[in-house]
Amino acid sequence: MEDEPERAKRWEGGYERTWEVLKEDESGSLKASVEEILFQSKRERLIKSCGQVRLGMMRHLFVVIDCSRSMEDQDLKPNRLTATVKLMEAFIDEYFDQNPISQVGIIITKNKRAEKLTDLAGNPKKHIAALKKAVDTVCLGEPSLYNSLNLALQTLKHMPGHTSREILIILSSLTTCDPANIYEMIQTLKSLKVRVSVIGLSAEVRVCTMLTRETGGSYHVILDESHFKELLLMLHVKPPPASSSSECSLIRMGFPQHTCSSLTDQDAKPSFSMALLDGSNDPGLSLGGYFCPQCHSKYMELPVECKVCGLTLVSAPHLARAFHHLFPLGVFIESPLEKLQESRFCSSCQGELKDKSMFTCPSCHSIFCVECNDFIHDSLHCCPCCVHSQNTA
Amino acid sequence: MASEEEISLLVIVVDVNPIWWGQQAQREPQFTLSKCMDAVMVMANSHVAMNRSNKLAVIASHCQDSHFLYPSTNHRTGDNADDVCSGGDGKYELLSVANNVMAEEIRTLMSKIEVKGSSTDTLLAGSLAKALCYINRVSKELEAGQEIKSRILVIKAADDCALQYMHFMNVIFAAQKQNILMDACVLESDSGLLQQACDITGGLYLKIPQKLALAQYLLWVFLPDAEQRSQLVLPPPAHVDYRAACFCHRNLIEIGYVCSVCLSIFCNFSPICTTCETAFKIQLPQMVKGKKKKLKAS
Repeated sequence: MEDEPERAKRWEGGYERTWEVLKEDESGSLKASVEEILFQSKRERLIKSCGQVRLGMMRHLFVVIDCSRSMEDQDLKPNRLTATVKLMEAFIDEYFDQNPISQVGIIITKNKRAEKLTDLAGNPKKHIAALKKAVDTVCLGEPSLYNSLNLALQTLKHMPGHTSREILIILSSLTTCDPANIYEMIQTLKSLKVRVSVIGLSAEVRVCTMLTRETGGSYHVILDESHFKELLLMLHVKPPPASSSSECSLIRMGFPQHTCSSLTDQDAKPSFSMALLDGSNDPGLSLGGYFCPQCHSKYMELPVECKVCGLTLVSAPHLARAFHHLFPLGVFIESPLEKLQESRFCSSCQGELKDKSMFTCPSCHSIFCVECNDFIHDSLHCCPCCVHSQNTA
Repeated sequence: MASEEEISLLVIVVDVNPIWWGQQAQREPQFTLSKCMDAVMVMANSHVAMNRSNKLAVIASHCQDSHFLYPSTNHRTGDNADDVCSGGDGKYELLSVANNVMAEEIRTLMSKIEVKGSSTDTLLAGSLAKALCYINRVSKELEAGQEIKSRILVIKAADDCALQYMHFMNVIFAAQKQNILMDACVLESDSGLLQQACDITGGLYLKIPQKLALAQYLLWVFLPDAEQRSQLVLPPPAHVDYRAACFCHRNLIEIGYVCSVCLSIFCNFSPICTTCETAFKIQLPQMVKGKKKKLKAS
């Protein structure tokens, strides 16, 4: 095996007999040990993510969905394609929620070819509409990894250097049909700093392992639908650490004002919005909207890239949405409840602490119950009591 | 018409900044904190009286701490119910209990807390975060088949504190994700943060022209819930200024430069970002190669 120098040596512990980790319980099922492995990896991910790591905030992500014959398999209900498309819609919503200034494009591969379903865009509605139509596509033939990577690369290589270029492949087939050498394609991807990650629906495929290892992405094979959902939403929605070679630059952006006027206003003038150029079904004539500060063309929604002058238009809350990645909240210290002498109440929800453990914030030392801890770390991203201690400094 | 299983939870966050209210008592002696609390109690009673399944919580937001006035942890156990019994005037017992608890709690709060330190700003972001945690707990404790719709009403007195911007925005986005409306009733000066909050979550923002009529505004504008508001003629939405402020001068700008690493906003190009200290690549103009001209032999 001379062509795999990256595999760790046995004395470094990387070549252990991985099947020995799994232990069967008395009925012969592996469920408990598998769940334990999943729980440990989730724990590690949480602890690792709270660090001073530079993140790639502006992301250009292409999602490649395999539409080959194996997607008609019914091990995910009702069939793999429908389940994948439904999870993709949830993923796109969550992705734009956490990365408001990023863009996504969707590619479909089947019948040894690849075609673009939607181009790179920052508006979730187009992608979701296209995905809803894609549920009806006929799955036939074999996927082509080379063609889909090539198609994604043609757009990604023109993206500016300070953005992160990513491709996420959802592959269910165990084969791929490529017109050229895929190892050269892997080298090209590596030189263009594109990070490719794969989620496998069937089993581990060696070419995917090589692909993800060379480009610095991650490769997972799903166990069931909830594991699929967790992989998509927990792993790929968060911004990845930026590679050391990505450039940092100042991006020129516009912050347009929203003018909303009603028919009763004397000065209200209706105007056409630039959404007409996309060929959408709206008439496009409306009273209010966002006007680009540079060329005064009108748009109905933000964030958008102005078609006339090329300026990126965002609003201040969009940038504020991404702040919690840059200033992450630290993990709270867990401790058993018996340590408290009298029964106390959770500092934020005033509920009685009745679970086995309680969580303490390391900076303000307030006590929280299990549910508040989950809520604070998943949705709120700030400790309710730290605000009080900061001001009384 | 709300179905029988749908619970409507209203959380009222009252700004009880002692410095602002003290100055207010000197400016306008007719409208003091106790008058404001009377109006809040009227609003709270009306909300509970609208439907049997409505729930209530009241939080007082101080410059040192935020404190739950109702439900209160001190009066949690059933033993105290006899002490705070109804005053014998035939009022629905739940309402009189709530009023007495709120009055008692605010009295203890204002008398016990001393103003330490130099900060005089109300800790609104912290109170809103606690309100969200409370709503989260109540939603988790529901029985099967019950749905809950929550909203938060903020009664704001003092000015905004710019230091709490990030916490405030986190709270707003968390509320938007959970579909919790945020309404704001502003007593004195306009608050940009609350305008953004109401715009993003879909609530109402109103600056009251006359403080003495607070109860009237609360009952007419803020008592109906989200479904009924579509059928009423309510104050028009305020024009929200979403322009960003640059980090160097705090001016509002229309076109700015954003650092790709830390997302700080600048009005002019500078070679180093002051927040994260990254050096930027400067785009140099392309060098045009001069064409070699053929010299004509003259």
